[in-house]
Amino acid sequence: MQVHRLSLLLLLAFATPLAAQQDTTRIPTGVRLGMIYQTLKRPSLAVRAFTAADGVSAAELVGDIVRRDLDYSDRFEMFEVPPQLADGPVDYATWNGLNVVYVLDGALEPLGEGDGYLLRLVLHDVVYGQVKESQAFRIPPPTAPDHRMAVHAAADEVVRWVTGQPGMAASRIVFVSQAADGARDLMVVDSDGENLRRIARVEGPLMSPAWSPDGRRVVYAVGRDDGSWDVIERDLETGAETRVATRRGLNTTPVYSPDGTRIMLAAENGRDLDIFEIDLATGRSRIVRGGPGADMSPTYSPDGRRIAFNSDRIGQPHIYVMSVEGGEAVLLSPYTYGEPGHYAAPDWSPETSFVAFHGRSRGQHQIMVADAARPGSTVQQITQEGLNEDPSWAPDGRHIVFVSVRPSGTGLYVIDAVSGRTRPLVLGGRLRTPDWSPTLERASALTVRGE
Amino acid sequence: MQKRIILPALVGALLVGACGGKQPPQQAGPTPEELAAQARADSIEAARRAEEERRRLEEERRRAEEEARRRAEEEARRAREIFAERVHFDFDKFDIRMSDQETLRRKAAVLRANPNVRVRIVGHADERGSDEYNLALGLRRANAVRDFLVSLGIDPSRFETASMGEEQPLVRASNEEAWAQNRRAEFQLVSGELTRAGM
Repeated sequence: MQVHRLSLLLLLAFATPLAAQQDTTRIPTGVRLGMIYQTLKRPSLAVRAFTAADGVSAAELVGDIVRRDLDYSDRFEMFEVPPQLADGPVDYATWNGLNVVYVLDGALEPLGEGDGYLLRLVLHDVVYGQVKESQAFRIPPPTAPDHRMAVHAAADEVVRWVTGQPGMAASRIVFVSQAADGARDLMVVDSDGENLRRIARVEGPLMSPAWSPDGRRVVYAVGRDDGSWDVIERDLETGAETRVATRRGLNTTPVYSPDGTRIMLAAENGRDLDIFEIDLATGRSRIVRGGPGADMSPTYSPDGRRIAFNSDRIGQPHIYVMSVEGGEAVLLSPYTYGEPGHYAAPDWSPETSFVAFHGRSRGQHQIMVADAARPGSTVQQITQEGLNEDPSWAPDGRHIVFVSVRPSGTGLYVIDAVSGRTRPLVLGGRLRTPDWSPTLERASALTVRGE
Repeated sequence: MQKRIILPALVGALLVGACGGKQPPQQAGPTPEELAAQARADSIEAARRAEEERRRLEEERRRAEEEARRRAEEEARRAREIFAERVHFDFDKFDIRMSDQETLRRKAAVLRANPNVRVRIVGHADERGSDEYNLALGLRRANAVRDFLVSLGIDPSRFETASMGEEQPLVRASNEEAWAQNRRAEFQLVSGELTRAGM
């Protein structure tokens, strides 16, 4: 409590100077505090201890990964398994009496030497008193680098069984970490905060990494000594780097198109930044958005036909939506004449019409979500604690990773835009511009349905 | 026998007397040897004086040169100083402050006096706000500075602009003073030499 209060004081001290320059009491007109509204109640789920034919300890570890993934999916109320129901056949009546809707069992069968396991997951529907889904997944041995990802993919299938929608456990987040000596590390971490590792170290500025749709490459901007910025594509397997943008000067905020054939970015064009799209096969580039003002940070809609982007052409940075073919840009962030406004870093959900960005509210940056299908409608401010920036959607279109400075620690956090539940992903130092990957692994289809 | 002894003595005395009479010490002019010695001494002295004079003149010339070089260096130093003077910006803004306009006028004078110099103006932002948008803000700041210098008559083709966003803070701290220092435009010499302060 003491520590908490102290850090809160520090935060207030940090925040105070801003008060002199802006109206720190108001939430901007057109912004409402709260989460994305969904009527669905979260069903209660119990995950029983996983078993293994040969009693290997891998069962417990695999069970822990699956249980945590399902918890982090925020689709379920996780129910603590009572000791008397820990094993044996599922007693539907008793579970039903506890208001538990689903019970998940898992069993590991060792395959051949070094081949890992077969993980059989059985999801019981307590309400209907029957097995809802059952499937066997191949899991490489724990020593294999893709072991955890295979377990995450199995957990994502459980989410799909229940909700019909994809999970996000089998994914990673790429981000930039700034060392004390000014060097930058390109880092990657699994969606559950495990497997944190460095991909590359750069001596100078490094910004805005973004995943290719197949998860095999990342593209990012690198600052040079002469003040120019290059956009570099990196093959994660080989480490080979390719310079993408060829314009002189400032090239930044690259993203891949959903089909992976193009990269859109902001580049210096005359007096300011405009948005260009580069065809990776031909290397040809075309201008998507020109004219006065700095246009940057483009992000594709899931079908690749529209973009959201950041522009300060009206004198303050705002979020707009337009067709990739050009034409009129529609304002998405709230604008009120005479009121200060500052919105930046848009990211379009890979699953919905929601665009996340950060905006200044009560003098602090907060994560906000707007519906690109209904420009002009109210924007939801989904964070309130601390300073929050640079959101990126998970492949489930529901979770958002962002940079936060808050009393519980500075670093990357994950928020569920529906429930508001927030967890730290990686804490420490200066961690910046995270990008959440697409789903990196789909569970292999060794299906045995309806047991 | 006695005569034989006296004669040589007489001759000897006469000889002695004759010699003494012809050469009275001090009164007479210098001997050629003395004159030669004198001349030698005089010419040594003259050479010494000439050398001294030469050295004096040389020293004077050297001093004058040194002074000129010092002045030139001082002027070049002053020119570099004016050239390197940063300008600062208000939070989230890119307009040139009143207090920085004098700085930029001095800078314009330096640029006019050194027509071969080409400049890179690099805009920077403080750590607050979007990492990405801060790149745009830095570029806007660099452009605002260039526009002001162009309005003072400097050829636009002599400028390059760049932005480092919030990537290279001058002061690594998170307080108002550090932020104020970090919101800046810096000036880099692309080509040419700064020799004249243009005052």
